[in-house]
Amino acid sequence: MTTILGIIIIVCILLVIFYVARTVELTKELKGEADDTESTSNVQGYLMLGFLIAFFIGITWSSIYFIPKMLPAPSSVHGVEVEKLFNMTLFFTGIVFVVTHIVLFWFAFKYREKKGAKAYHFSHSNMLELLWTAIPAVVMLVLVVKGLVTWLSIFPDTKTLTKDTMVIEVTAQQFKWNIRYPGVDKDFGSRKIDTAHIGIATPDVWWKNELGIDWTDKASHDDFFADTLYLVKNKPVLMKLGALDVLHSFYLPHFRVKMDCVPGVPTTFYFIPNESTVEKRKLLSKLPEWQKINPETGLPKYATFNFELACAELCGRSHYNMQRYVMVVEQAEYDAWVLSHTPIYAAVEKAQNDALAKLNGSETSNAILSDSLKVAVDSQLVVELASNEVVLEK
Amino acid sequence: MATEEVVNLHAEAHHDAHDEHHPETFLTKYIFSQDHKMIAKQFLYTGMFWAIVGAFLSILFRLQLGWPDTAFPFLETILGKWAEGGKISNDFYYALVTMHGTILVFFVLTAGLSGTFSNLLIPYQVGARDMASGFMNMLSYWFFFLSGVVMFCSFFVHTGPASGGWTAYPPINGMRDVAINKGSGLGLDLWIISMALFIVSVLLGGLNYVATILNLRTKGMTMWRMPLTIWAFLFTAILGILSFPALLAAVVLMSFDRLAGTSFYLSDIVVNGQLLSHHGGSPILFQHLFWFLGHPEVYIIIVPAMGLVSEVLSVHARKPIFGYRAMVFSLMAITVLAFLVWAHHMFVTGMNPFAGSIFVLFTLIIAVPSAVKVFNWITTIWRGNIRLNPAMLFAIGFVSMFISGGLTGIFLGNSAIDIPLHDTYFVVAHFHIVMGVAAFFGMFAGVYHWFPKMFGRHMNDTMGYIHFYGTLIGAYAIFFPMHFMTGIPRRYARFDSFEFANNFGGLNKFISIVAMIVFVLQLMFVLNVVYSSLRGRRMKSLNPYGATTLEWTTPIEHFHGNWAGEIPEVHRWPYDYATNGQEYITQTTPLSEDELAH
Ligand code: HEM
Ligand SMILES: [Cu+2]
Ligand SMILES: [Cu+2]
Repeated sequence: MTTILGIIIIVCILLVIFYVARTVELTKELKGEADDTESTSNVQGYLMLGFLIAFFIGITWSSIYFIPKMLPAPSSVHGVEVEKLFNMTLFFTGIVFVVTHIVLFWFAFKYREKKGAKAYHFSHSNMLELLWTAIPAVVMLVLVVKGLVTWLSIFPDTKTLTKDTMVIEVTAQQFKWNIRYPGVDKDFGSRKIDTAHIGIATPDVWWKNELGIDWTDKASHDDFFADTLYLVKNKPVLMKLGALDVLHSFYLPHFRVKMDCVPGVPTTFYFIPNESTVEKRKLLSKLPEWQKINPETGLPKYATFNFELACAELCGRSHYNMQRYVMVVEQAEYDAWVLSHTPIYAAVEKAQNDALAKLNGSETSNAILSDSLKVAVDSQLVVELASNEVVLEK
Repeated sequence: MATEEVVNLHAEAHHDAHDEHHPETFLTKYIFSQDHKMIAKQFLYTGMFWAIVGAFLSILFRLQLGWPDTAFPFLETILGKWAEGGKISNDFYYALVTMHGTILVFFVLTAGLSGTFSNLLIPYQVGARDMASGFMNMLSYWFFFLSGVVMFCSFFVHTGPASGGWTAYPPINGMRDVAINKGSGLGLDLWIISMALFIVSVLLGGLNYVATILNLRTKGMTMWRMPLTIWAFLFTAILGILSFPALLAAVVLMSFDRLAGTSFYLSDIVVNGQLLSHHGGSPILFQHLFWFLGHPEVYIIIVPAMGLVSEVLSVHARKPIFGYRAMVFSLMAITVLAFLVWAHHMFVTGMNPFAGSIFVLFTLIIAVPSAVKVFNWITTIWRGNIRLNPAMLFAIGFVSMFISGGLTGIFLGNSAIDIPLHDTYFVVAHFHIVMGVAAFFGMFAGVYHWFPKMFGRHMNDTMGYIHFYGTLIGAYAIFFPMHFMTGIPRRYARFDSFEFANNFGGLNKFISIVAMIVFVLQLMFVLNVVYSSLRGRRMKSLNPYGATTLEWTTPIEHFHGNWAGEIPEVHRWPYDYATNGQEYITQTTPLSEDELAH
């Protein structure tokens, strides 16, 4: 009903405009002024000038209003460099933007059609053209050089990384992140991409070893999955990225990190987080925008601030929902956090034993839950480890 | 000169054929017409149809983005199972954005824009009786039509239309029967078929445009006397001919992956705990092929608009275009460089950083010819006597949009800055302003300007002014604030899963409302076109704007062959405005005694 009403109103408005516009044109034609473009050009000239002014007011106002709502300053070493480059580009392009717009609309106003006025014949000027080829070229050169220095510094040769670089493996899949840590030995167990490793671990327990972790490799025995990405402040980290099903993109907005996760093609990203979560909250607490109370929690926004991990490459219907928190902590807190995890190997082994015991007892049960592992026999269910919510795929 | 002889021969041959006066039936005159002017109208109307469809889709997904928690019962009425309870399902949200992108990029801004104006203006402005091959030209339209029919059908199949993005990246689009995405089944099959037909249409059209421009110029119409519109159409056609085949190859290989189990783009894929047998391919290969078309494609869209705008600015400023040769050389530079920058869409796919550097270099170099064009346009209106009619306003609006959107390209082209910006709203703002809105403005400028030539009648200017200011202000209100959403990922059906992305609820509502208003305004434009073509003020003089080019020497009534007698000879360049104390001198005016040829 409201829809039909809405459509009728829109049609009416259109018709009113249409009839008014038609009448205006017809009267003009009757008065013999149809080809008199000069008086309309005059009005339009002023309107162009008006637009120019309104445009700049709009830009200024929206900047004041929206800039505080934007992502906070970067929390990584390279992010700061990227921000500098951004601002430098903003400086140059800002000048061009303002000057060209003023000139464009000012000319439209100033040189609007006037009776008897003559246009000035000015068909080329090699000097001018050379000038405005050379100046942009020089500016671009500066930006390219600055840009490439920054760009190449973001991608160091992974072979030359220092010993204290943390390595974390993230494998994306619809619609979650598998975050694997190498455990206390700091060494990942290898993965085998073949049907002998990927799929059902044993006939009794339906844990799909989707990553193809090779249990015969002892290094795998202390690897664990985490549901939050933990990083250590000021400690370099190398993300090893991959995907199981479709493209995803590992995106840490606050750290200015983004790298696609590609099935079959491993990628990496190296960066150094330089603010801890706690520090970031403290920094944000000084900004008015972040002091606003969040109606849901009743707390100021800065108090519940968290770094986040998002997906930035269209991966299907729940693409917008691949959220994980990122915590940046001090080394000691990190070490304790590592110890609090049950390795995958132990969890799977325990689940298997439980399953066997249960199976021997009663034939009917086909879904078994252990503390650290949710196991589902229904192949429609994607198995989730640890405390992660189960994503239903029907 | 050899070329001139050929031109003459051809002109005569054509003339003879014309004398025979084939009886024209309704079918050959309006449907299977081989007349470039009729085909131009067919492209225009089909393009307008698709523009309305594509824009309507955007209104639907703007409802979702503006009011993600509100149910709109009428959505269920029109969309059925895709909007149960009045809320658009995620699957259909992605189908909407995919189809919106595909339709606007290909059907509206490629076929609708180039198809309309290349067809209308190439024979007129180079002085030819028709295209080199009227038959191929007709085929080009009908392949486009067919491709549209197939795309339209895909809305009604059980999987819904393609929903994996207009860029159709595998693996989400590369596997047909694996349950990872609804629209990647039959919907995407139809998408691929439709694109293949579309590519045939582009190639048929493009070859024809190039052949006509190179071979059918009238006597005296040397290359350096061609209007910038024609140069623009020439480069556009070359871009299309060289780049669209890459897309064809890309989607054909993808079909093999989808239907025959090959592994061009697939490797080591695990779905539902099962390892698929695909091995050894790379999804990145598809991206290289796609963007080898994709980047030239954005220039295929903007270059004709640049041509139209150059012409309109010069005619209505009553001044020669400033730096004619620089304008041609910058187009040429853009055409060449357009093939060397494709990987700037792929900076964060894990490509070798050194390879990335090369693409940064070329990408930022493209900004130089772009800047030259902008400065030359501005100088063109400097000290003019500017007739501010709707065509001219849209041309000036085009320059503004091209500046605003082009400048953000400089951020994106610098790979380091692109890391945080890629696939966020900053990119959405960039390409909608520089490509979407700017190309539409160029197209509007063209329609308002050449409408009398197409229909023998004038458009309603009052509606034109309302249309212009509404669209200018509306487009900036929609897309400018998106720059502030830097860092917010694009292609999100809602933002509340993330704290960092959930700051702009009010802005999203505002954008959605403005989008609806702008959409209604475009309906007014369509109304204006349809009404004016039937009832508009009749065109009285042959050359209402005092323009110099050849199309204004043809009679108001259309007939196949364009000129009743001989095709006029050209004696000078097309930009003799404010020359020798005269307001304008047409291209057909012989040189005076003391004048040097241009
Ligand atoms: C000054 C010149 C320009 C530069 C340096 C530039 C640079 C870029 C870059 C680097 C991207 C990739 C951004 C990303 O995805 O992260 C991009 C995206 C895009 N640009 Fe431009 N651009 C320029 C002008 C144009 C023009 C003239 C058009 C069209 C007429 C255009 C249309 C597009 C489109 C459609 C996309 C996005 C495609 C997508 O991801 O869906 N750009 N541009
Ligand atoms: Cu995703
Ligand atoms: Cu590009």
